[in-house]
Amino acid sequence: MSVLAYLLLAFLTIVNIFLFLSRRGRRRDSNQDGDGTGLGMSIPFGWDPLDSELSARIFDPEDADFVANETSRPNARQFRQERTVLALDWLRAIRYHVNQLIRAHLRAARGNAGLKPADEIRLGFEFLLFQLTSGILYLVIWACGPPRAAKLVGYSLELAGQLRKVTEDVLPAGRQVAVELMNNKQEPRG
Amino acid sequence: MQGELKHEDVEAARRDLADRTLAKIRGDFARLIYLASMRDYNTGEYHHEGLALRFTESVAGRAISSCHRDMFRRLVLCPVKELVKQLELYADSNCSTSSELVRVWEKLQLYRVAVPLECSPLAARLFASNIRAALAILQSRQLRAHREALSALPAP
Repeated sequence: MSVLAYLLLAFLTIVNIFLFLSRRGRRRDSNQDGDGTGLGMSIPFGWDPLDSELSARIFDPEDADFVANETSRPNARQFRQERTVLALDWLRAIRYHVNQLIRAHLRAARGNAGLKPADEIRLGFEFLLFQLTSGILYLVIWACGPPRAAKLVGYSLELAGQLRKVTEDVLPAGRQVAVELMNNKQEPRG
Repeated sequence: MQGELKHEDVEAARRDLADRTLAKIRGDFARLIYLASMRDYNTGEYHHEGLALRFTESVAGRAISSCHRDMFRRLVLCPVKELVKQLELYADSNCSTSSELVRVWEKLQLYRVAVPLECSPLAARLFASNIRAALAILQSRQLRAHREALSALPAP
């Protein structure tokens, strides 16, 4: 009985953390929408948001080890902190991108009569899985630092890529809306 | 068709810039600083008289901008270890010592002007963080070398 209670408590804690993180992410998204500049969460020029190169650099343990070996402790600590902040911002940018994709898909799906429920359920499941994984990734980065979270990053990116593919496969119109949406976001950047 | 032609012109200007100018500069970091220095701080546009004469002002500007972005991307994605080497090379090729470079760059944070205009804040921050770390490493190495030199001196 006590084991069950512990399990239930652990489950509820995880759900609470997940809900807190997703709400926080949503609030940030809406703030960026209101900003209208698209600069806050923008991804490097010419870089696909789901491109793994930038994340590989941010999460690479080699840099942290090198800085720790070559410089003083305060400098190494500052570097680790900066990388953690960058990694969390990168994750927010990916979540923002995926949320935009899903919003664009929902917008396109509203007027579409030929929707397949099975595909929509699959998409919903993939989205939920991505949210869960990115929530866990957020916690791992925050608690252990980017190098320890490096393996999970690949999985999250893979999921985000799958989501994009599913939104394109399920409803080709969704892609166009997403592209329009992204273009509109980038316009003010000139 | 016109767009295609223009793209070819920009590509030709890029090659010209790479072969005639950038190839003669030692190290990617020095190339980045050179490319950034051709940008007007007020308009964000790039100017290069020679290139503009061979092509047009707008083609030259686009070619430099494109090279600047590529160079920046390369440096953002390179490890801190490599960045330290690049900074040392940059100090050597500019006839200054590493200690001078560290002192001035830490104060003025000149590396910030090397960031291309279209760059995202995330990439710019990663670059700045890496450069700060590289400068700190250079400083630590100098201090270590100084201490070793002092300890090697014969006691009075």
